[in-house]
Amino acid sequence: MKVVIKKATILCAQSQYHLQQKDILIVNGIIEKIAANIPVDKKLKVIEGKNLHASIGWMDVFADFADPGFEYKEDLNSGMQAAAAGGYTDVMLMPNTQPTISNKGQVEYIINQTKNKAVQVHVIGAISKNCEGTTLAEMYDMQASGAIAFSDGKKSIQQSGLLLKALQYVKSFNGTIIQQPIDESLTQHGLMNEGVISTQLGMQGKIDVAEYLVIHRDIELLRYTESKLHITGVSTAKGIDLIRKAKKEKLNITCSVSAYHLLLTDEALTKYDSTYKVNPPLRTDKDRKALLEAVADGTIDCIASHHTPHEWDAKHVEFAYAQYGMMTLETTLHQLLSIPNSKISIAQWITLLTNNPRKIFGLAEKNIAVNEAACLTIFSTLETNNYTDANKKSKGINSPFLNSTLQGKIIATINNGQLTMNN
Amino acid sequence: MSLSVKHLLGIKDLQPQDIETIFRTADNFKEILKRSIKKVPTLRDTTIVNLFYENSTRTRISFELAEKRLSADTINFTASGSSVSKGETLIDTAKNILAMKVDMVVMRHSASGAPHFLSKYIDAAIINAGDGTNEHPTQALLDAYSMREQLGDLKNKKIAIIGDIMHSRVALSNIYCLQKLGAKVLVAGPPTLIPKHIKALGVDVTYHVQEALEWCDVANVLRIQLERQNMPLFSSLREYSLYYGINKKMLDSLQKKIIVMHPGPINRGVEINSDVADSEQSIILDQVENGVATRMAVLYLLAGKKDLE
Repeated sequence: MKVVIKKATILCAQSQYHLQQKDILIVNGIIEKIAANIPVDKKLKVIEGKNLHASIGWMDVFADFADPGFEYKEDLNSGMQAAAAGGYTDVMLMPNTQPTISNKGQVEYIINQTKNKAVQVHVIGAISKNCEGTTLAEMYDMQASGAIAFSDGKKSIQQSGLLLKALQYVKSFNGTIIQQPIDESLTQHGLMNEGVISTQLGMQGKIDVAEYLVIHRDIELLRYTESKLHITGVSTAKGIDLIRKAKKEKLNITCSVSAYHLLLTDEALTKYDSTYKVNPPLRTDKDRKALLEAVADGTIDCIASHHTPHEWDAKHVEFAYAQYGMMTLETTLHQLLSIPNSKISIAQWITLLTNNPRKIFGLAEKNIAVNEAACLTIFSTLETNNYTDANKKSKGINSPFLNSTLQGKIIATINNGQLTMNN
Repeated sequence: MSLSVKHLLGIKDLQPQDIETIFRTADNFKEILKRSIKKVPTLRDTTIVNLFYENSTRTRISFELAEKRLSADTINFTASGSSVSKGETLIDTAKNILAMKVDMVVMRHSASGAPHFLSKYIDAAIINAGDGTNEHPTQALLDAYSMREQLGDLKNKKIAIIGDIMHSRVALSNIYCLQKLGAKVLVAGPPTLIPKHIKALGVDVTYHVQEALEWCDVANVLRIQLERQNMPLFSSLREYSLYYGINKKMLDSLQKKIIVMHPGPINRGVEINSDVADSEQSIILDQVENGVATRMAVLYLLAGKKDLE
């Protein structure tokens, strides 16, 4: 593989070429040269385009590839292709498969199936057996087999006692607990955010208290256990404020939000469109703006895709019966670029997609420098991309952006010596 | 005469003008219903399916009667004993029915938004006969029509809606309808049965039924929806009746004679006592009568036929 990327603005804070426009030559997966102008010859694959950017490969911390068990929604291959198409070189998978990823064998299955691919898959092991929230799963053994962190994924740990033990248990191997904060007893009959819109639509609501109550509890459990906690899917103004305060107190807490919670609000639901049925639900504009502020002030560490692909039948039923979730991996760039009145620069977004997640989950820092292994995402913020049923890579159908022209385009990713070009 | 909408999914989507049109049309039908021959040939070549995914007696009968008075051909589909229990989806059921060349669908469903969902997939005109905790538009139309018969123009009239507001599609449709007609609305009931954000719809809230009765011109008392409550929201029917039920003594204590309404079926002795339900202040049976005329009007207007006699 011999590739040259022409005239790309390098977005990589730790690189000496940060914010500079350069040509990058990659030979056999290694960055061989970075210079103002690298001559092109016939043996070179040339990547060029208007407004090209190159960052280190993006990393997602919370995606569902539905494999094993729900391969009709997604499988490891289609998931990795979707990730690459969305600009990702690294993806962390939640354990809510069938069976769940709650023992060594399941961790090894995922790792073996995804070895040496263009997208590096990382496994999140379950905190509790079968993600049932009652007894601890074999986290130590899963860690030894390669699990990167622990979570019950879409299921929030309800029992305070169990979460306390989990936070304590992972300390011996420096593990990280990931929690999606939802008090189910307060939300079980709700279908969307409780607010003016849900009242107008006659739909039962999920109250925001259900989120920040759990965040508050989890912070106190973290304080007591002195462990490591990552909260994902924060959706409320009050919730993110609690995390901001906990960070000021130097607790070992980090958090991520989905791009769609930064872009959309509960007003998207006025036509009962189940594409927008997600959990935690789309909140009010006030919440959305609070999340954006939290991105700006560094409270939010990462963008988590919460990629949840579904087949047609799962969504084309009455709203109450439709399954939760949105497929998002292929549209992250578009979502971030479409946020109205965003003051966040593309370089800031890139930090949330590259350095921060690697740091939080203990992966080696990457760099854009000569002699480094190339782990790159090459994209344009100006070019557009037709995202259609025909060219999507995920098996899912549940994206509100499907069959439309999207702002921003992922041109290619390079990882593990492999170039993945997007058409 | 026609409406600004193709379907009647909710009062929320109607213009005040639409409501006036429906009322004027209902006036005509009400007159027809007083004739010795109550049937008109207006919808003679129209086939209507009554698609009821949830139990209903009076709404279904009222629609069926309205359809028959208009000479429509009707099919009744109820969830129990149909293909729904075999796991067929709503889309498939509806498509199957429509393959039989049905023109209109009257639909009741336990999920909010179900008729809106269906409207994306079928061409027939849909009338929402109640969807989950969202709307029950024809009930609100017949309620407002009945109030208007008693009070004339509803502008600035005070209407109290009392009881289980949270689980009631009648409440939401009533609020939208009455506001479009210029009335003032107050909701009353136990705090656990009143949505937290209801004031954003422009209504006032009280937890004291007596206060609501003293304020209003009309008290529209709702049924306690035991079947739609997912968790205990009050302690017992006894306590509900003691603190939120309406009896004759309360009515007699008021300065003025208010009108009492109820969409039925009544839980006698729970939300309303028999001495109120059967009193001269009650117009509950007028509501039932007007239900047929109002539904005839809606069916007629959505069918898009020209020749009303």
